[in-house]
Amino acid sequence: MSTSPLYILLCSGEHEKLQMAAMMASVGAVSERPVEVFVSMNAIFAFARGIEPAVRYHGGAFSRLLTEKRAPDAIALFRQGKELGDLKLWACSMALDVQGWDIDRLEDGLFDGALGLTKFLSDAEGGQFVTL
Amino acid sequence: MADQILDAKGLSCPLPILRTKKALKDLPTGGTLQVLATDPGAVKDFEAFCRTTGNQLMESKVEDKVYSFLIKRTA
Repeated sequence: MSTSPLYILLCSGEHEKLQMAAMMASVGAVSERPVEVFVSMNAIFAFARGIEPAVRYHGGAFSRLLTEKRAPDAIALFRQGKELGDLKLWACSMALDVQGWDIDRLEDGLFDGALGLTKFLSDAEGGQFVTL
Repeated sequence: MADQILDAKGLSCPLPILRTKKALKDLPTGGTLQVLATDPGAVKDFEAFCRTTGNQLMESKVEDKVYSFLIKRTA
């Protein structure tokens, strides 16, 4: 079945939005829908390599529930989406630049590279666009 | 009797779907997978998943709050 690609612009570092982005991306990918995620602004911090969940995830009441109830880890969901479907993650080149980071500072095996917003928006013209 | 059984009881969305996708990858075309789940949203999720992936949802039922889905890999 033909389905338009899903493009997720992920800017928030809030746990709840990271979790929803991960859920949307992984479910879209395993449902044989191409998905691309552009990670920028505060969201980039959540993908730093090797940090503990308590540092990675922070949010409101629902974030606490996600942690207490041991909901599926967002990073793990992104990984499963990549393993099982067509899911690409792009690090915003501006976000890396202002941090002085290169892509190796981010979780291993998740990102397909760094990308500028112009390219991402251009590619997204043919798909469904969601901002979190 | 399904070729394979996947116990997804106690797993919350979207894990039942993700685990199903993984299990289907290892099945030959024509093989059948029974998935057991307790997530109430799973009924509609599995209908949509099979529709979008082209796999056949042969059976969907619930007993004692356990949902059972029989899926045939056709794609």
